[in-house]
Amino acid sequence: MTTAALVLLVWGTLVGVDLVSVPQMMIARPLVAGTIAGTLVGDIETGLRIGVVFELFQFEILPIGAVRYPEYGPATVAAVAAAHWSGGPLALGIGVGVGLIVGLLGGLSLHWLRTANARAVRAATAGLESGDVRALERVHLGGMLRDAGRACAVTATGLAVARLVSLLDVARWSPAALVLAAAAAGGAALASGGTGLPRLVGRGPNLKWLAAGLAAGVAVAWIA
Amino acid sequence: MDRVKTPLAAAFLRLFTVQASWNYDRMVGVGMGIAEEPLLRSLRNGTEDGPAYRAAVARGAQFFNAHPYLCGLAVGAIARAERDGVPPEQIERLRDALIGPLGSLGDRLFWVGWLPLLSTAAIVAITLGAGWEAIAAFLVIYNIGHVTLRWWALSAGWNAGSDVVAALRHPLVQRSLRLVLPAMALVSGFCLPLAARWLAQPLPRGPALGMLGVAVVGLVLLRWQPRLVTGLRLGLAAVGVALVAGWAWR
Repeated sequence: MTTAALVLLVWGTLVGVDLVSVPQMMIARPLVAGTIAGTLVGDIETGLRIGVVFELFQFEILPIGAVRYPEYGPATVAAVAAAHWSGGPLALGIGVGVGLIVGLLGGLSLHWLRTANARAVRAATAGLESGDVRALERVHLGGMLRDAGRACAVTATGLAVARLVSLLDVARWSPAALVLAAAAAGGAALASGGTGLPRLVGRGPNLKWLAAGLAAGVAVAWIA
Repeated sequence: MDRVKTPLAAAFLRLFTVQASWNYDRMVGVGMGIAEEPLLRSLRNGTEDGPAYRAAVARGAQFFNAHPYLCGLAVGAIARAERDGVPPEQIERLRDALIGPLGSLGDRLFWVGWLPLLSTAAIVAITLGAGWEAIAAFLVIYNIGHVTLRWWALSAGWNAGSDVVAALRHPLVQRSLRLVLPAMALVSGFCLPLAARWLAQPLPRGPALGMLGVAVVGLVLLRWQPRLVTGLRLGLAAVGVALVAGWAWR
C-alpha cells in the first residue's frame, strides 16, 4: 500500500499542477485522473467509475476569471484510493464522499495560492515595474513551486483521509451502506451534470441539439 | 530560464506556463510577461538590458486576463508592436482591447465547446464498453486542438502585430465555433441517459431507482437554489444521508 500511495501522490501532484499552472493538457480532468489512478492501483473499473462520477460533478464548473470552485483532480485520485482500499467499485459512494471533501479542500487551497501569488507580486513590485527579468522569473517560478507544493499537500491529505476511511471497513459492518452511498453519489453526480451541461449549452439555438441528443440517448439507453 | 534559441519557440513553450503565477492582482499578467520576454530581446542594447527592453518587459507583466490558450495572440501582437516601435500608450490600449475578446472567444471555443464535447464523448464511449482507450483518445484529440490553437494564436499575433483583431475574425475560428457548440450540445444530451444507465447497472433495482430519485430531486434543488445548493454540497449531503441510512438499516 505504501508504494501505491507514493505513486498516487506523484500522480495527484501532477494532476493538481496541470489544472492551472502547467501545461493544462487536461490530465486534471476527473475522467483522466481517475482512470489513470485506477490503473496505477490495478483497479481500472473503480478508476473509470469514479472518473465518470467526478466528471459529471465537474460540468457544473466554468473556470472563468477569478471564480472560486472545488478542485476535482487530486480529489478524484484520493476518491479512487478510498474506494479501492474500501472494497473496489462497490465502494464508489465511500470514494465519492472522500473525494468531495478533498475537492472542497483543494478549492480552498487554490484561493490560498492566488493570494500567496498576489503577495509575491506585491513584494516584487519595484523589480517588476523596472523591467527586471530576474524578478519576473522569480515570481513566476515561485508560483509554480507553490502550486506543486499545494497539489502535493492536497493529494497527501486526501490519501491520508482515504486510508483512515478504509480502516473503518464499512463493507464489513454495513454492506447496505455501501450500496446506498453508491446510489446517492451517482444520483448527485447526475443532477450536477444534468444542471451544468444545459447551462453550458444556454438557452440559444443549440438547445434543440441538446434535446435531440437527450432523446437519442434515452432511446439508446433503452435499447442497448 | 530556457535554452531554446528561437524566440518564437521559446515564447511558445513558456506559454504552457502562462497561468503559473496567476494571482488576484495581475491575474495572468506575470505569465504574459514571461512568455513575451524572448520576443523582446531584439530591443536589448547589445548584451546590456537597454531602457527600451526593460520598459517593454515591465509593460508585458502588467494586469492581463484572457483564456490561457489564446494568451499567445496577445503575447505575439504586443511583442511585435514593441519591436516595431509602436508608442507605449497605443500598446497599452491594444492590451486592454484584447482582454474581452480573447476571454470570450477562448471560453466559448474551449471551456464551453471543445472540452465538454470530447469529455462527454469519452463518457459515452465508456458507457458503451470502452476502457482506457476512450481516455487516451480524449487526451490525444483534445491536445491536438489545444496545442494547434496555442501555436496558431502566437504566430497569428506575431504576424499581425497591432492589426491582431483581424485574426480573431479568421474564418476557421468562426467556423469552428459554429460547429463545436451544436456538437457539444448534441453529445452532452446523448451522454446523460447513458451515464445514468451505466451508473445504475451494478446496483440492485431499489437503490438504482433511489439513484434516479436523488438525481431528480437534486436537479430541482440545483436549479431552484443555485446559490445555496451546489453539486459538491448535494453530493456530500446525499452520501452522508445514505451512509447513516445504511448504518441504521444493517
